[in-house]
Order: sequence, then C-alpha cells, then structure tokens
Amino acid sequence: MRNVFAFILGAFFLSLAFGCQQGEDSYDDTPETNLNALWEIIDQHYCFVTYKETELGFKWSDIRQKYLAQLNPQMSKAQLFEVLCNMLAELRDGHVNLFASIDMGRNWSWKYDYPLNFDQEVRDAYLGKDYHIAGGLEYRILEDNVAYVVYESFSNATGDGNLDDMLYTLRLCDGMILDIRSNPGGDLTNAEHLCRRFTNQKTLVGYTSHKTGKGHDDFSTPMAEYIEPSKGIRWQKPCVVLTNRSCFSAANTFVRNMSQFPLVTIMGDQTGGGSGMPFSSEIPIGWSVRFSACPSFDAEMQHIEFGIAPDIYCPLDTEAAKAGVDTMIEGARTFIKERFR
Amino acid sequence: MDNCTYSMTYRLVIMIALLLPNAMWAQEGREGATFLLFGFGGSNQMDTYLSPMEYDGWQASVLTGRERMTRMAGGRISFQSMMQAAATRTENPARTAEMWGGRIAYDAAWHWNWTPAKGLRLKAGAQVGTDLGFLYNNRNGNNPAQGRVSADIAASVAAAYAFRIRRFPLALRYQADVPLLGCMFSPQYGQSYYELYIGNRDHNVCFAHPGNAFSIRSLLMMDLVFSRTTMRLGYLCDVRQSNVNGISTHDFSHSFMLGYVRYFKVLKRKERKEDNGL
Repeated sequence: MRNVFAFILGAFFLSLAFGCQQGEDSYDDTPETNLNALWEIIDQHYCFVTYKETELGFKWSDIRQKYLAQLNPQMSKAQLFEVLCNMLAELRDGHVNLFASIDMGRNWSWKYDYPLNFDQEVRDAYLGKDYHIAGGLEYRILEDNVAYVVYESFSNATGDGNLDDMLYTLRLCDGMILDIRSNPGGDLTNAEHLCRRFTNQKTLVGYTSHKTGKGHDDFSTPMAEYIEPSKGIRWQKPCVVLTNRSCFSAANTFVRNMSQFPLVTIMGDQTGGGSGMPFSSEIPIGWSVRFSACPSFDAEMQHIEFGIAPDIYCPLDTEAAKAGVDTMIEGARTFIKERFR
Repeated sequence: MDNCTYSMTYRLVIMIALLLPNAMWAQEGREGATFLLFGFGGSNQMDTYLSPMEYDGWQASVLTGRERMTRMAGGRISFQSMMQAAATRTENPARTAEMWGGRIAYDAAWHWNWTPAKGLRLKAGAQVGTDLGFLYNNRNGNNPAQGRVSADIAASVAAAYAFRIRRFPLALRYQADVPLLGCMFSPQYGQSYYELYIGNRDHNVCFAHPGNAFSIRSLLMMDLVFSRTTMRLGYLCDVRQSNVNGISTHDFSHSFMLGYVRYFKVLKRKERKEDNGL
C-alpha cells in the first residue's frame, strides 16, 4: 500500500514540477527596469519606429542610453514619470501616452504647435439653439439652404436611422458642410458608418497592416480597406468636410476615407494625424502605456501619421471670428454655392 | 436511464468494483460514477498580447464528470467525460490593473484499464477536448481582451487505489492529461481584433503541440465514503501555456476541490423492467 501511495503522489508532484514554468517576462520595479520595460514595449510593438527614425532623425537604440543616463535609484516617482514621458515624447505621437495616478504623459505638439482654426462660440452661433441632434450628429439648415452638420467626436455613435432621417431632412439643401474640426477621434466604425452615406460604389480608401514580430519592420501584407455604399439614404450633392489640426485618429481616418469620394472636398487645415491604432501595455511600476500598434495608409500607400493636407487650405480669420464670422464655414458656403451652380 | 441508489453498501461495492479485474465488469454489467466538484484556489496568468506582466489572483471553478465502463475490448475500456468551468480575477504586481477571465472546457477520454494489483487500477488512453474562454484587462484600449478557442487530442493517464483506514473505505485517484496536438486561435503578434472584424486573417488558427503549447492538467482526488453519501476531495493543478504568433500566454491555476460522487449502474431494458417489478 505504501508503494501505491508513493506512486500516485510521486506522479502528481512530478507532473507539477514538469508542468509549471515561469513566465518568460519578469521585471523588478526599479527606475532602470521600468525604463527598459517601456523602451522594449516601444521597440517591439510600436509600429512607426522606422518611420519616425526617418522623419524625426533619431535612432531608437540611442534613446535608451540617453534616458538611462537621467535615472538614479533614489529618484521619486514623479521624477521617473517625467523622464519616461520625455522619452516617449521623442516619438511625437498623440497616440503615445503614459498613464499614472499623478498625470497622463502626452505629446500634443500635433495640435499645440499650430493655429487652432476653431472657435467654438462662433461655431455654436452657426448651429443656433434649434439645431437637431441625431446620435453624435448636430445639424441645421443655414439661411442660404446649405446643410451644416457637426460631428464633435466619433466616440458618439450615430445609428442608421439617425443618418436616414438627417439626410432626408436635408435632402433639399444645395450642399452640406460637415464640420469635424477638433474631433479627437473615437470609434472607427462610427466614422465608417457615416462615410458609407457619401459613396455610390465600393471605393478603395486605404490600407491597414499590423506587426508580425518584434522587428521594427515586421509587418503583415497591407490589407486594402474599402468603403461600401450604404443601403440607406446617400448624399448626392457637394459636401465640404471642415478640418483642423485637432482632427485626430479616427477623425484622421474619416478624412482619409472621405477624400476618395468625388463629391467631397476637404477644406480647412491639415489634420492632426494619428494613423496608428493604439494598443495598451504596462510597465512594472503599474503605469499603463498606450502606443500606436497597427498602421494605416492612404489609398496610395502613403503614411498619414502626421496628418492629411486639405484640398483647399482655408484658415480661420481670428479677427473675423471676434465679429462672429467663421471664415472657414463661410468659405465652405461659397464653395458649395459655386459648385452647385 | 441511470438507476441511482444511496445505500452505502451498494456504493461501496461499485467503488470497489471500479477497481477490480476487468473480467468482473463483464459479469456485473456496466457501472459508473458521476461527480460534481466545486473549487477555489489561486491563479497566475500572463498574456503578452494584453500585458508583459504576470497577474496573480483567485480562481473559482466547477468540475463535473462522468465515468463508466464500455463494452469495448471486452469491457476493458472506460469512457470519461469532464466539463470544467472557471472564472478568474487577477491583478498586476503593482495592483493597478485587473484581469477577469472565464473558461469552459469539455473533454472526452477513453482509457484502457489495467489492474496490476488488488485494489489498484491503472488507466491510459486518449482524450479529445475543446476549450473556450476569454481574458479581459480592465484598462486596455484597443486590445482589452483575448479570446481563447482551442481543440486538442491529449494523452491521458490515471491511477486509482481503493483501501481502508481502520474500517473506513477510501479511494485515492490521480489523473493527468497532456495535450499532444491540436489547433488554437490566436491573433497575430500585433493584430487588432478590429482587423479580424473587417476580415484580415493572418495565421489565426495555429497548430498546437507540446513544443509551443505545453499544458498539463493534474487532478488528485480522495473519495470518502460516509453512511449516506460519498464525498470527494480534490486538488486540481491546471497548467496551460502557449507561445504562438510571438504571443506568450500562461495560465497556472491550482484549486482545492470539494464535491460528491454518485454511482450508477446502466441496466439493460429487460433488467430495468425486472427491477421495477414490471
């Protein structure tokens, strides 16, 4: 009986010893290991390392040594946070953030380094007080029979019923101004839902890809992205999409898509960019890091990470704005009137 | 139809019969047992698609199964089915994020039975299994969760020994299952689920074998036969790992299990009628 016991218990513990392996990644929580962990996440998962090295003129391999030299074992969490944020800021990517309880690390040079080209008070005056709300959309018909539609954030969903009703209400207008200035992005599917109302045929709008390994250039074969026409009501008249540098992420992708449609004109300022779908990870101290993981390209396979130039550059005249005139909206109205004629 | 009885003598007879020479099965008919165990224990998880850190926490699980002898190979082959459902909650080392997981697995195994010594039964055979689950990280953005779907063929070995301490009947059981080949779902290294949603497939069904997904489930159980019930105590150690598409995962869990066993005897139609006095 003892032998049988020994056999059964021995087999059990042998299998445990054989089966249990340590995880491949284990980190201590020190300034150095945190910086190394963060550097590795970017090195192995960030999708624009090679592109940023080319465009911004740094070597990511040099960045680690540069910031390791700024560490010391006695530094506070706030000091460590600052060093790590400075390291990430080298990437100049709005999708790269470090989240800690004390702050959110960011580099928003993509919008802060440029004119805003947006005055919300003036914009709201154009909308008035009796505008319609349809999901994430706000709209009204301006005095010259031009539809004015605002989409503030693609985080707000708009249903097909909302879009059908809005487009039916606006059907007699001469054209549409779709104002997405300062739209920070959100859900890509919301952006695509709206795009489908502006094309009558399946249209190639760009490509998307993802990393297949730790190497900087390990990417999958880019997959073509198409917008298929909606089965609901579709817009058949001129449309001007108003943009500024604060159109980011999904709003950037929306502009990429809309720019492929013949009746759509992009007007305003260059978009803010942000063409990498962000993933999240973390470092040993418990701070979360967000980074671009899946790059998207335009229909010519060009990067749109730093934004999309408008078809017609049209800035906001701040002096006119003080008088309640939005020169970008007025420019779009004039353009539609000329196009409609 | 299963005819269950609750007499201690009957249950003891079947429990011991499960461990007796196979020839006896042919004479006595096909008997078996079902069990239901509830478990609670620790869990250690890692999935580099979600985080490079290891998360620790608890796991609650339910394990239910059924085992009976078949008529195959002269009554030497037994059939076992097991279903396991588990829920986990784990935290990162800094306790700033948590992951929730859920899993349901079904396995069917056929074992060849040997009885090398009195009271001892050894089993070895093959098992087919499916696994469905998820892992959700509460603060990730576009990669908040990881889905798990897999199917495999495993080697399964078991040993059972019936004995008494003083006059108290006990049975000690051990079973280990090691998947040998199968297939599993995994996103590509940096692939988003959004891409999968829009139809971009990229080696998402992977061949799994011990070289890239060594896993083992060990189950140690002790049956205690009381006057009106048979209680089963157990310890379940589940080690699941994979390294495909550059994504490393592991899920180590150990749970103490507690539940009961019901023994049954499968009767032929004629025998059932006689039993029911018809």
